[in-house]
Amino acid sequence: MFEENPANPDASEAVRESRAEEPAGTGVAPDSEMPAASEGEATPENLDNESPSAARAVAVALSGWLLPGLGHALLKMWGRALAIFLTVGFLVYLGAGMRGNVFEPGGEDAFARLGYIADAGTGSFYLLARALEVSGPDVSHADGDYGTRFLATAGVLNLLAALHAYEAARGRKA
Amino acid sequence: MVPLHFSHFQSLLLFALIISLAFGTLGRRKPIERVKYAAWSFAMFLLVGIALGWFMYPFSR
Repeated sequence: MFEENPANPDASEAVRESRAEEPAGTGVAPDSEMPAASEGEATPENLDNESPSAARAVAVALSGWLLPGLGHALLKMWGRALAIFLTVGFLVYLGAGMRGNVFEPGGEDAFARLGYIADAGTGSFYLLARALEVSGPDVSHADGDYGTRFLATAGVLNLLAALHAYEAARGRKA
Repeated sequence: MVPLHFSHFQSLLLFALIISLAFGTLGRRKPIERVKYAAWSFAMFLLVGIALGWFMYPFSR
């Protein structure tokens, strides 16, 4: 689980010692009890070759917002990156296919403005939704209404994932 | 793009499945815990969705 940092063996030793001193229940278990991250994923604990910086974490979060899953991919959390990319992408595809409403900026009422914020949460996939929905929205049927919710959920889910990537980049338990 | 058509229940199933998988992946780290959490979340989505549907049924007419 723990890999020696060839560039700075002292830092690796310090990290190893700090882990051994970690009291139970504080979030970081000893190596022997660490759950194996799936698919060789990096975890906040093995990202400690680099000190967590706020600017880097913000860049990771912004990347995750722009392209769903990219934030986690930058942190080498491949499984989560793929899951987020597929989930948000599939929701956008379904939402646009069901002719949900893709809200535009400058909406007339609070509902339209909130809807735009939620839709814009998908980042670049917002443009994909606009491109896919060539026939325009049709919310006169239940399909279109559900599609609107699918698109909004995709955006909110991506914002949640970007926040998750931010927390992981800061070295917090995520 | 070909328009997609789903029934209410199919939409509920799709939504519950996709969101549960995302919650499981984001919320847990061990694979077995992810599966358990996703299954629990999926079941709760269905249960609460159907229960709310029946709760609102008397007011729909």
